[in-house]
Amino acid sequence: MANVGRAQSAVKKDVKALAGKYLTFDLGKEEYCIGILKVREIIGLMEITAVPHTPRYIKGVINLRGSVIPVLDLRSKFDMEAKEYTERTCIIVVEVRGETEAVLVGMIVDSVSEVLNIVEAEIEPPPTFGGDAVETDNFLGMAKIKGRVKILLDTDKVIGETGLGRLANAAA
Amino acid sequence: MVGAEKSVNGLLDDMAVKIMMIEPGDLSVVGELLEVLEELIAHEEMASQASLRQMACAFQGALQDLIMAELPDTAESYQQLAECICRMQEVRRHSDDQHAVTAFCSHLNSIGCKLDPARFVAGQQDAAGQDDNNDPAFLRDKELLECFIDEAGEYLGSIEANVLELEKAPGNSEAINAIFRAFHTIKGTAGSVSLPEISILAHAVENLLEEVRSGRISMDADVIELVLAVDDSLKLMVAHAQDVYENGVAYHPAAIDGQLALISSVLEKKCGNSRPAPDEAVSPAKVPAADETPPSSPAGGAVPDFLKDSDLLSGFISEAFEHLETIELNVLELEQNPNDQEIINNIFRPFHTIKGVSGFLNLMTINRLAHATENLLDDVRNGKLTMNSGIIDIVLGVGDFLRTMIQNLSDVLEKGSEYYQQYHINDFLARIKICQEGSEAGQEEELVPMAEAAPPAQGTPSAGPVGNATTAEPFAPAATMVEAGVAAAGSQQKKNIEAAIKVDINKLDGLVNAVGELVIMQTMVRHNPLIASLSDPKLNKDFSQLTRITTELQKTAMSMRMVPIRQTFQKMTRLVRDLSKKTGKLVNLVMDGEETEIDRNMVDSIYDPLVHMIRNSVDHGVQVPEERRKKGKPVAGTVRLSAYQKGGNIIIEIADDGEGVNTEKIRSKALERGLIQAGGSYSDHEINNLIFLPGFSTADKITDVSGRGVGMDVVKKGVEKLRGKVELQSTPGEGSLFLMFLPLTLAIIDGIVVGVGSERYIIPTIAIRESMRPKMENYNTVQGKGETLLVRDTLLPIIRLYHVFGVADACTDISQGIAVVVENEGRQRALLVDELLGKQEVVIKSLGGYMKDIKGVAGGTILGDGRVGLILDLAGLISVSEEMGPGHFNSSNAFQE
Repeated sequence: MANVGRAQSAVKKDVKALAGKYLTFDLGKEEYCIGILKVREIIGLMEITAVPHTPRYIKGVINLRGSVIPVLDLRSKFDMEAKEYTERTCIIVVEVRGETEAVLVGMIVDSVSEVLNIVEAEIEPPPTFGGDAVETDNFLGMAKIKGRVKILLDTDKVIGETGLGRLANAAA
Repeated sequence: MVGAEKSVNGLLDDMAVKIMMIEPGDLSVVGELLEVLEELIAHEEMASQASLRQMACAFQGALQDLIMAELPDTAESYQQLAECICRMQEVRRHSDDQHAVTAFCSHLNSIGCKLDPARFVAGQQDAAGQDDNNDPAFLRDKELLECFIDEAGEYLGSIEANVLELEKAPGNSEAINAIFRAFHTIKGTAGSVSLPEISILAHAVENLLEEVRSGRISMDADVIELVLAVDDSLKLMVAHAQDVYENGVAYHPAAIDGQLALISSVLEKKCGNSRPAPDEAVSPAKVPAADETPPSSPAGGAVPDFLKDSDLLSGFISEAFEHLETIELNVLELEQNPNDQEIINNIFRPFHTIKGVSGFLNLMTINRLAHATENLLDDVRNGKLTMNSGIIDIVLGVGDFLRTMIQNLSDVLEKGSEYYQQYHINDFLARIKICQEGSEAGQEEELVPMAEAAPPAQGTPSAGPVGNATTAEPFAPAATMVEAGVAAAGSQQKKNIEAAIKVDINKLDGLVNAVGELVIMQTMVRHNPLIASLSDPKLNKDFSQLTRITTELQKTAMSMRMVPIRQTFQKMTRLVRDLSKKTGKLVNLVMDGEETEIDRNMVDSIYDPLVHMIRNSVDHGVQVPEERRKKGKPVAGTVRLSAYQKGGNIIIEIADDGEGVNTEKIRSKALERGLIQAGGSYSDHEINNLIFLPGFSTADKITDVSGRGVGMDVVKKGVEKLRGKVELQSTPGEGSLFLMFLPLTLAIIDGIVVGVGSERYIIPTIAIRESMRPKMENYNTVQGKGETLLVRDTLLPIIRLYHVFGVADACTDISQGIAVVVENEGRQRALLVDELLGKQEVVIKSLGGYMKDIKGVAGGTILGDGRVGLILDLAGLISVSEEMGPGHFNSSNAFQE
C-alpha cells in the first residue's frame, strides 16, 4: 500500500507533464493510450518464433527488418481473457528503457484506433483499488474524453525490463 | 588606449609574479607562464613594439626549452629567467632597442638555452638570407613536423569549409566552434614544432574568434574575409615549411605583421576597449590559483589544464599507445642485436615525440619520465653507456608505466577529471639516474659480456635468453625466422599505413550487418513462391549473378574486420622473455603464421587464453637448463606459437618441447577429487583434457606464475565464449601441444538447421559429433534415470528437444526422429529432433538485453524464409534438461513397435 501511495503522489506531480499526443488502442472493452513518442511503428501480425522458458505472455520474437525483437501479448500480460487474433489485431512496436539503452518491444493489441491530443484538464491520477488486484503502478493516469475513460499506460513499467525483470528469471 | 597599455604591463607584471613563485620541478606554472606569454605576444599593442615582441618570442623559446628539459630545471635558471622578465619590463618602459634584444638572447643562451639570436632580432623585419646556414628550429623533430604538416593541412581545409558554411548561415555556432578548435590546434602544434609565426597568427585569429563566439562581435563579411585570408596565408606558410623540410629550400619566416595589425584593427573597431577588460579580470584570478597549487604535486594544477583541449589530448593518447607499441617491439629486437644503432634510434624517436607532445599538453609527469628515458637512450646512442639488460628492463618498465599513465588519461577523458591519478615516477627517475651514473663503475663488468655478446654468451641466463637462439645450434633457423618475421612485420606495417584509412568500428559493424541482411533478403526473394515458379532462363542467370555479387560483398565486408594475429602474437614475445627471466629457464619463442587473420572483435578475447597457455608451457612444460641437458635436449627450450586456417576454423597452436603432461599425476589427482571413477576406462587424451576443469592443478606448489588451477579454466571459458574449443595433446618426455580452434568470425556461425514440430533451431556445427536415426537395439531406458542411446560403445543420455522447449506438435517417436550427438564441455548428449533441414551459415543476432539469459538459447538469426530461428546454447540446454529431470518420457512414446 505504501507503494501505491508513493506512486500516486509521484503521479500527481507529473500529471501536468502528461498532456500531449497519444496513440489509443483497444484491449477488450477498455481503451488504452501510449505516448506517441514511445511508438516506433505499428505492424500487422506476423509469424512469431516462440522462445522457450519465457513467461506465458511473451509470444516470442519477430524479425523486424533484420533485427530480432521480442513480442508480448498485452491481454495475456494483464491476465485478461485470451482472444483469437483477427485481421485487426496488430503489433505496436514501442521503445522502452532497457538496462543500458532503449530497446524495441512489440505489443500485441486488439486494434489500434487513433491519435489523440490529450490536454491537462482531461487527465486524472489513477484511482486506487486496494489490494494487489490491479497494479496501478503500470498506469500514468486516466483521461476522460467525451464521456469515455482512457487509461494512460506506462510502457516502461509494463514492458520495460524494470517492469518484467529478466524474463529468464520470471520464467522459473 | 590606456586600458591596453596597462594590459601589456599587467601581463609582464603577472609573469614576473609567476616566475618568482616557481619552484624547481613545478612545471605546471611554466605552462601558465607560457600562456600569459602567448597572450602578450598576440597583444595588439605588441605590433608596434617589435623588440619587445622579439624578446617575448625568445623568452617563449627559453620556456619551451625548459619544458623539453633542454634547460636545467633549477632555481638558478628561474632566477635568470626572472631577470629576463625584468629586462622586458625595462624595454617596455623605455625604448625600442634592438641591442637589448640581442643582449637578451645571449643572456638566455648563457644559462643554457639554445636560441638563435638572429632568428629573433631579424625575425620579422628582414629575415631573408639570415637563416640559410642554420637549420630552422622546426626541423629538429622531423616526425613531429611531418605530423604537423599533415594535420595542419586537414585543419586548414576544414576551416575553409566551415567559414564558407558560416557565410551562408552566420549564426551557426557549431561552425564557429569548429573553426575555433582548428585554429587552436594549429596554434598549439605549431608552437610545439617551433613555427612561431604560424602559432602567433593562429593565436591572433583565435582571439578574434573568441570574441565572435562570445557574441561581442558579429561574424560579418569583414571578419569572414579576414579569417579566409589568414587561412590562406597559413596554408602558404605550412606549404613553405613542408618545402623546407622535403626539398631543403631555405626557410623564410613569413611576414605576418600586416595580418596581425589587420586583426587587431578589426578587434579594436568592433569591440573597442572591451577586450582588455577580460584580460585584467583573468590575470589576477590566475595568480591566487597558482598560489594554491601545492608545490609537491607538480601536475596537480595541470588537471584542468590538459583537459582544456580534449581533441589534442585524445590524439596524443592514441598516438602515444602506438608509440609505446613501437618502443616495446624495438626494445625486444634490440635485446637480440644490442649494438644496432638503427633500433636504438627507433626507440629514441617515439620517446622524444611523447616527451614533446606531453610537455606541450602540460602533462609534466609523463614529460619528465619520457625525457629522462630519452636522456638515458641518448647516452647509449652516444656510446657513453652500453646497452645492457638493466637498461632494457628500465626502458620496458618505463614503457609499461607510461602506458598506465596514458591509460589513466584516457579514462579521465572519458569519465571525468575525478579519475585523474597522480603517478610517482621518482622510482624510475632514480633508477635511470643510477644507471647513468653507475655506468662508469658498472661499465667494466657489463661491457665485457655484452659487447662481445652480440650473439650473447651461451648459458648465462642474464644475457637475454631469447637472444640465445643465435648460438644454440639447433635453433638457429628458428631464431632467424623470428627476426625475419619481425622485419617483415615492420615493412608490411609501413605499407599498410600508407594504403589504409581508419574507419570507425561501429560503421564497419553496421556495414557487416547490412550485408548480412542483404544476403538474407536475396535468398528470401529468390525463394518467394511466385518467383520460384517462374522458369525464365534470364531470371535464373541474373539470380546467380546476384548471388555471386552478394557473396563477394559479404566476403569483402567480413575481411574488412579481419586483422592479422601478428600483434597479439608479438605481445607474447615480451611475456616469454619476462617469464624465462623469472623462472631461470631458457626459452625461445618461435612464431609462425602471424599473417593469419582473425576477427577484430576476437583479438582482445584471445589474449588472456594465450597468456595462460604460454605461461603454462613455460612454467610447467619447459624444464630448467640442467634437467634439459641431462635429458639430452638443447639447453634452451622452444615454445612454438603458430596460427593457420583450416576449414572454417582458425587454429592456434602452442607447442613446447618440455616434459609433456604427466598423465598419471592427473589421473591420480582426478581420482582424488572424484572427477573420474576408479577402474573406469579413460583414454590418456581424455585424462589430459581434465586439466581444463576449474580449480584443477597438479602443481605441488603454487608459484606466482601459475599453479592455482585457474589458468586452464580461463582458457577453456574464454575460448568457448568465442564458440571455439581447446584441446591438449601431449607426448610424455617430448612436449605438449595446445590446440585452440576458433571460428573465423564472431558474427557468423556454421550451423545445422533442425526442425522440431513447426519450430526451427540451429545447432552450432562445431558442437556436433554425428547424427543418426536411432536404432531400436541401441535404445535403452534406465529406471528413473531417463533414456540412453548406445553410440559407438558409449551410453549417451537422450535429450528430447521438443520436451525441453515445450514444442507441442513434434514427433515423439524416437525411431522416427534423428539423434544428433552433441558435445559440450566434454559431455556428450543425444539430442532428439524431428529432422535435419540443412547446413547454413547464419548471422547471429542478439535477442536483446530483454531475453539475454534464457537458458538453452544463445541467440537468434533470420532464416531464409524471413522467420527468426533460435540458435541453441548446448551448455544451457544440457543443464536445463538435467534440472527438468527424468520422467519426461513414458514408454508409450518411446518405440512404437
